[in-house]
Amino acid sequence: MNFSALTAPQAALLAFATSGAIIALYFLKLRHRRVLVSSSVLWQRVLDEKEAHSLWEKLRKILSIALAVLIGLLIALGLARPEVEWLTGKTERVAIVLDSFPTMLTQTADGRTRWQRAVDAAMSVVDSSGANVEFRVADTSGRFDSPWTRDRREVRRFIEKIRPAAGDFRFPEIGGGARAVFISDGVSGVAPPAGAAIVPVFERAGNVGVTAFEIRSTPSTSLGYEAYLEVHNYGTQRSNVDISVSGAGGQRITRRAALQPGESFTEAFDLSRFDGGGIRAAARSDSDAFPLDDAAYAYLPVRRKTRALLVTEGNAYLETVLKLNSLVELSITRPSEFRDTASFDAYILDRFAPTAAPGRPALIIGAGAARDAAWLPRTGSTVQKPALTAWMEDHPVMQHVSLHDVSITAATQIDASNLTVLASSSGRAPLIVASERPRWILLAFDLQSTDFPFHAGFPVFAENALAWLSRERLALHRAPGVVEIPIANAVIRGIDGRDVPSRQYLGATVFEAREPGLYTAETRDSRQYVAVNLTSPRYSAVNRTALANKPPAASNAGWLRRELWFYMLGTALVLVSAEWLTYHRRITL
Amino acid sequence: MSTTLTLFDDEFLKKLEYLTIVSKRVFAGRFRAERRAKRRGTGVEFADFRAYVPGDDFRHLDWKAYLRLNKLILRLFEEEEDLPIYFFVDASQSMTYGAPSKLDYARRVAAALCYIGLSNLDRVHVVAYADKIISELPPQRGKGRIFKVFRFLNDVVEGGPTNSRESFKTYCTDTRRRGLAVVISDFLEPNGYQGGLDVLRHFRHDIFVIHIASHEEVQPALKGELVLVDSENGATREVTVTPSLLHAYQSEFERFCSELDSYCGRYQLGYARTVTDFPFEELVLKVFRQGRFLK
Repeated sequence: MNFSALTAPQAALLAFATSGAIIALYFLKLRHRRVLVSSSVLWQRVLDEKEAHSLWEKLRKILSIALAVLIGLLIALGLARPEVEWLTGKTERVAIVLDSFPTMLTQTADGRTRWQRAVDAAMSVVDSSGANVEFRVADTSGRFDSPWTRDRREVRRFIEKIRPAAGDFRFPEIGGGARAVFISDGVSGVAPPAGAAIVPVFERAGNVGVTAFEIRSTPSTSLGYEAYLEVHNYGTQRSNVDISVSGAGGQRITRRAALQPGESFTEAFDLSRFDGGGIRAAARSDSDAFPLDDAAYAYLPVRRKTRALLVTEGNAYLETVLKLNSLVELSITRPSEFRDTASFDAYILDRFAPTAAPGRPALIIGAGAARDAAWLPRTGSTVQKPALTAWMEDHPVMQHVSLHDVSITAATQIDASNLTVLASSSGRAPLIVASERPRWILLAFDLQSTDFPFHAGFPVFAENALAWLSRERLALHRAPGVVEIPIANAVIRGIDGRDVPSRQYLGATVFEAREPGLYTAETRDSRQYVAVNLTSPRYSAVNRTALANKPPAASNAGWLRRELWFYMLGTALVLVSAEWLTYHRRITL
Repeated sequence: MSTTLTLFDDEFLKKLEYLTIVSKRVFAGRFRAERRAKRRGTGVEFADFRAYVPGDDFRHLDWKAYLRLNKLILRLFEEEEDLPIYFFVDASQSMTYGAPSKLDYARRVAAALCYIGLSNLDRVHVVAYADKIISELPPQRGKGRIFKVFRFLNDVVEGGPTNSRESFKTYCTDTRRRGLAVVISDFLEPNGYQGGLDVLRHFRHDIFVIHIASHEEVQPALKGELVLVDSENGATREVTVTPSLLHAYQSEFERFCSELDSYCGRYQLGYARTVTDFPFEELVLKVFRQGRFLK
């Protein structure tokens, strides 16, 4: 026997002290009331006879002391958490790691899922373990990691709490001295540490899934979009697949394909006939055990030309670029004739800035004109020949825009506090900045001071800027699970229009997308679509397992289901009750 | 005590006057009285005839027999003398137990019996004893002495453990005359009551035992963890009084009473037992008569 809470000498000292204290208390307890009797002759006879003839009387006192000491010892040693291996099993720490890779939701032949099997296996590990086993439950996505506990009910609750979802998968840190039990279908590729017990729940299954679905504009066609779809058969048998792409306006394109194992169906669908809105691609096959990748979503922007007003004293480069843009319906006016109106989607302000913020998004070219506009950032002195050295290529405004070899002869210094710096010079002087709210883009230089209009990236920049300022954008692509979008304080709604619980995290909005779908993130003045799809060969390849089927190792469970202290305190309670009953019936002292 | 004793109302005393203490044997008295004596004397009750010898009182010659038989025949009459009655009242510490105490009850019994004896012109001795003779009332005779008896009983001071053997031996050695010995006691002696009664038997007294027990002794209301303190010697005994132990005690008490009764029966001693909560008048007027101690 050993003790979890005390060392052996401490436990012995505790037992000794408890016994001594109880015996002392026992004798203190027997403070008898003095009663005068006429003569003790008869009492003496009765007691002598009783003591002489009753073994019970002789044992009663010893039994009472023994009972009291036993109760005390049970309580004292119970608090020391004793462990007897053959009674309560081996004392150890077991970390149950459930692989929460999405393929765990693959259905099995019995109509259940690999995940349900994994949960059962985890419960079985808990049930078959001894009372002295301390558990920790974690998943491979890093989203759940419980503390160590011996409370079986809590462990079961932890197991039931975990859900498979997309994410970054890795085996959690277990720490020395703990035994890991990894329950997985082996598809995620997460490698358990050496010595970990692996409980495979893999079962081969058929799956035909959408592995790619994306909407992109067609450069050759004004306001034209096409959808690229890829469907792959990851099963082991030939499968007949009904493929469909359907739009919000009821438009529908269908295909039927017979896919051999490992064969793909790919096609780019022309969406010119589709209204703007959500687009759903689905692949329905006769043998599919993984429904999560059977559908994918995207957003088709509403096709409409941008009504832009160019306010300039005259800028041939700019006028030419905007007039050549088929997506722009251009109007031109002089600064003196500028009137803020709702008739336009965006303004292009060339070396001009109104004193009050316009009601529409604006591209302001030349910060020199911003000196009198309070709604624009403060400007400073003029910087001569700033060298463009850095720009945000991942920002929608700067996508596919190359600023290499662009020279600028002079630029105005801008206070870029709380602004997004899209391009800056070597001295970190901001040259192109953007404001999200109100939405505008400011160039610190005018087009007469740079050769930027002669570069190939200029038309792209102009188009990107107008698109960012006023057009609907394509959906963001995310995988099911915890979704983070770079929009603060956004209200998330599902495809059915219902609000999805979300939280704010470092200026981003985070929500949990349990299944694929098209979500919207809305703020006061913007809307962003988020297409949550499980379109990846990584998830759809449900049979790509790295684990072999083998039964889990049996554990030493012991006789008792709980720790020994539980039974000791229970026994003490029963003995206290018995002692109470017998004491009041004068059976014990 | 004085109030108790004076509470014998006139009616009760008048009833007592009709009672007589019964002695199974006939003892030689010292004075003429109303009790039949061994000696033939001047009583009125005819006893026997015998031949006249010179010196006899010729007034008792039966002249009719002389005419018929021509012999001098003397008529003999029974002599009526007084009876010595010794009341031994146990005044040990154990007799103070109970409410009312056994000693108070014994005083009342002794007083009533003394009154009966005095009414019948018997010679009444009252002795209070414990481990020795505590006090002793000289022989009293005649009803008028009853108040002296009352005062004596009233002044009896309890004390010490019980040793009837030594007490009776001391008393009987000094007082040779045999008579009726009435022992009023609880008979709870560490060395046993038999020694004292054996002494009285040895001195050939006619013995009547009045055993007084208190209600608390018969049915003690004890429970739990107790230290029993002996009222006589202060000895203590730790005990856990359970219902079974109480039952055992009561059985032991009954056995003790049975042993005393058997002892008395074996040696033809009168025996009466009473409990202090038993009505005193009923004890004297009914129980003692039924026990043929009084008539």
